[in-house]
Amino acid sequence: MALKREIYRALEDVVGPDNISEEPAVLYSYAWVGMAQGVETKNLPEGKETRFIRFARRFEAVTLPKNTAEVQAIVKLCNRNGIKFKAFSTGFIGGNVPATEGVILLDLRRINRILEINERNMYAVVEPYVISAQLQSELMKRGLNCNIIGGGSQTSALPLAAHWGLGHMGQSMSGGERNLLAVEWVTPEGEIVRTGSLGSLGEWFCGDGPGPSLRGIIRGSITPMGGMGVYTKAATKVYHWPGPSTFPTEGVSPHYAPREIPSGFMIRYFSFPSMEKLGEAMRQVGESEIAFELMGFPASMIAANMATSNQEELETFERLRKQVQGPGFVIIIVGNSPREFEYKKRVLQQIIDETNGNSLKIMEDPKTGGAQLWRFVRITASIRETFRATGDHSGIFPGHNAFAPVVNLAQKVAQVKAELQRKGLLLNDGADAFPWTEEHGFLSHAEVLFRLAASRESLEGVQYLREESAKLALKEPAGVPFSVYGDRLHDLFGPSTSNYHLWLRKIKKAFDPNGASDSNGYITTK
Amino acid sequence: MSLKDYKQNMELCCRCSYCKFISLEMVKGYKHVNVCPSIARYNFHAYSGGGRINMAVGMLENRFDYTDKLLEVVYNCQMCGGCDISCKYVMDMEVLEPINEFRIKCVEEGHTVPALDGVIKSMREKGAMMPAANSKRSQWAEGMGVKDFTKQRSRVIYHAGCRTSYDKEMWKVARGTLNLLQKADVNFGIAGERESCCGGRAYEMGYKGDFLRQAEYNMELFKRSGAEIVITGCSDCYYAFKVLYDKFGMKGGLEVLHTTEYLDRLIKEKKLNPTKTVTAKITYHDPCHLGRLGESYIHWEGKEIPGHIRIFDPPKEFRRGTYGVYEAPREILKSIPGLELVEMDRRKEYTWCCGAGGGVKETNPDFAKWTAKERIEEARSTGAKAMVTACPGCEGNFRDALEEDEGSFKVYDVVELLEQAI
Repeated sequence: MALKREIYRALEDVVGPDNISEEPAVLYSYAWVGMAQGVETKNLPEGKETRFIRFARRFEAVTLPKNTAEVQAIVKLCNRNGIKFKAFSTGFIGGNVPATEGVILLDLRRINRILEINERNMYAVVEPYVISAQLQSELMKRGLNCNIIGGGSQTSALPLAAHWGLGHMGQSMSGGERNLLAVEWVTPEGEIVRTGSLGSLGEWFCGDGPGPSLRGIIRGSITPMGGMGVYTKAATKVYHWPGPSTFPTEGVSPHYAPREIPSGFMIRYFSFPSMEKLGEAMRQVGESEIAFELMGFPASMIAANMATSNQEELETFERLRKQVQGPGFVIIIVGNSPREFEYKKRVLQQIIDETNGNSLKIMEDPKTGGAQLWRFVRITASIRETFRATGDHSGIFPGHNAFAPVVNLAQKVAQVKAELQRKGLLLNDGADAFPWTEEHGFLSHAEVLFRLAASRESLEGVQYLREESAKLALKEPAGVPFSVYGDRLHDLFGPSTSNYHLWLRKIKKAFDPNGASDSNGYITTK
Repeated sequence: MSLKDYKQNMELCCRCSYCKFISLEMVKGYKHVNVCPSIARYNFHAYSGGGRINMAVGMLENRFDYTDKLLEVVYNCQMCGGCDISCKYVMDMEVLEPINEFRIKCVEEGHTVPALDGVIKSMREKGAMMPAANSKRSQWAEGMGVKDFTKQRSRVIYHAGCRTSYDKEMWKVARGTLNLLQKADVNFGIAGERESCCGGRAYEMGYKGDFLRQAEYNMELFKRSGAEIVITGCSDCYYAFKVLYDKFGMKGGLEVLHTTEYLDRLIKEKKLNPTKTVTAKITYHDPCHLGRLGESYIHWEGKEIPGHIRIFDPPKEFRRGTYGVYEAPREILKSIPGLELVEMDRRKEYTWCCGAGGGVKETNPDFAKWTAKERIEEARSTGAKAMVTACPGCEGNFRDALEEDEGSFKVYDVVELLEQAI
């Protein structure tokens, strides 16, 4: 169904002829999604029985608006003409494809400025296509830093862009849902709403007022995945960074490493004899507020992160799995002064002694550790950990909660994963749940990663795993999982969670009466 | 391997966007974060490395047909390889190779663009990728007293390349190289009127058959001469001789060196001594085909080992740009007294392309110029007063971009500065 010519021309008038396309080849490039949409069994290369289908439904046209006014004009035009739209920034995974036919994409690539870095009040205002590497590197010049999501620093720095907004530095810099300050929002009907202090004072410093506080509505713990209009500007909290303005990295890709670890920095990987001991260590690390970064990581992910190829990953994993005693975490300690650094190191050592933690020797090597340190601060190796090995991955993500329930749920999911691994349906990389705490222990989170092969059985196995995980999450509550996308899952979890799904649907209906903002990955008004 | 042979490889794209940016570990600020001129200029995902291979999979699945717009997307790419290297920081997959194969498929199926057809016609008729090439090819060397290696045995061959031969502005670089080789008492020769195009750009433009014909001609000429080393100051030629000829099993034992590699060797052997002061603050631009694409071709034959993790028997090594030629030109510049070398934000394997490659200069000169201007801005931001490079294609494109510039910013070849110092 091609767009009516008068609508195409109207869109063209908004963005200019160079910034709109309905060329099939261009649209198919946008229809490509990172995760499998199904399996194909015909026309395959020799020796292959199946392959994943990665093309999803096509957008009808793609536009490249340059500013809020153009976004607003497109949204209004869509509402007037009964057309759906969807916006994304870097467009990585998630609901970056339309739920139905006839949807127009707003690719926000051209809306890409850092509008303000307010050093005194410690916030930054960004547009959707500022990537985290850009914001972080500018902040570091000013002695500041920002949370970067686990997806990597090539993703948007807008704290509304990522589904969960969690990252490796959440221990000291929290996540998207809680770093969000004031926002400029083009509602699904095309009204421009400025939330928090922006709505009353024209200032970005606060998300909750004076002015309309809509943080729960426009974001909540997970974003609406483009289902609630378009966020064109947002302020995010930024944090103190005691490190160098540029990291002293040398070498040629993929062998980057610093000349030396900057003074006052230490990175270690500790493994523990049991999840209980790891939990106790994390609790104490949080309580003492000594960690800049604390990230639960199984040996398989450390191996993937360190290795520059799959072959190397395999060999590294074989080596590391013999050197760890159980679940573990990466910890980065940073001192603001030599004295504070020594204090934090001593506290950490005491915690590790009390919880029988073992330090992974290779991480103590300044070259390897230094490379890892920067990789964990800049978040550059997420794709190595997830997609490189088999070409696809998935995961189960309990929501934020106290440590015990999220670990309990994740461990039970890990048992299902182990069952599938025994059947040969998933990469055998250990069946470890990896939990970590955020905000110095205020919140906890855990994940189970699985890397699947391009086969029908593997994909079906993952679907089974998801279903089983959902059942487990209802039976062993740990908050609404972050991996809840779309109507079916919201309707599943809503009744056991204060009927939030009814409220979510009411909100969607109130702000999007025409259903113009495509709800793929969010909730519809049905 | 044809495009369809890369299908499984292309399906590994996870749409992460690494291909759009320089190595994330090396990002130093808001600016100069893009590595791909095409997506930076045209913005639609299809113009990125990932978008191109996503699109290629769609093409193989007959989801759409050829259109003028499709060809516009396909050919608005400098084939600089920035996407390939950034992707390979995190993935074990090829990006540039299938992009090249997409172009070959277009040409083989008769979907070409007139500007490139004109270039190829010139190559077929005159052995030069310059439609305006009417003068003598070896005119640049007149009066130099240099041997013709096709008639007199030489240990070293100097191959000037099309751009150098037919762009009078570049003659000083070729003549300077000959001067230096003569001063170092190197036994070398040129092919004179028998020199012909390396064919490298023809390959990158999708004209594989024409490339192979040029490669056969050149290798026959080189082999018959008995020379051991071929040196060239053109990064495109260097890439063709060293990488592409090897890829197609035609290079044999011939040693291929860029002039900067050979001159650096001569300096280290004390056969050239840069002693004169050249006072200037300069920055160095890494040509894509000398730097990230200049590492040796890695032959591999084997199969994927069945199982979950993608590994190969025998283990497969990917060309990730690690061993490109980065240091030789810098070593030469550092050896020149008085020169102050400052680095740009984007360099070595994550350099920003000059804009001239892949046929873009011929099909879309505005885009070529746009790309060059971005680089000149970056060079200026270092405080340098000149940019030094090691490729006539880069130099020519920068020079064209500077024509509209009112400043006094200069572009040099490494050879020009070395010659001044000796």
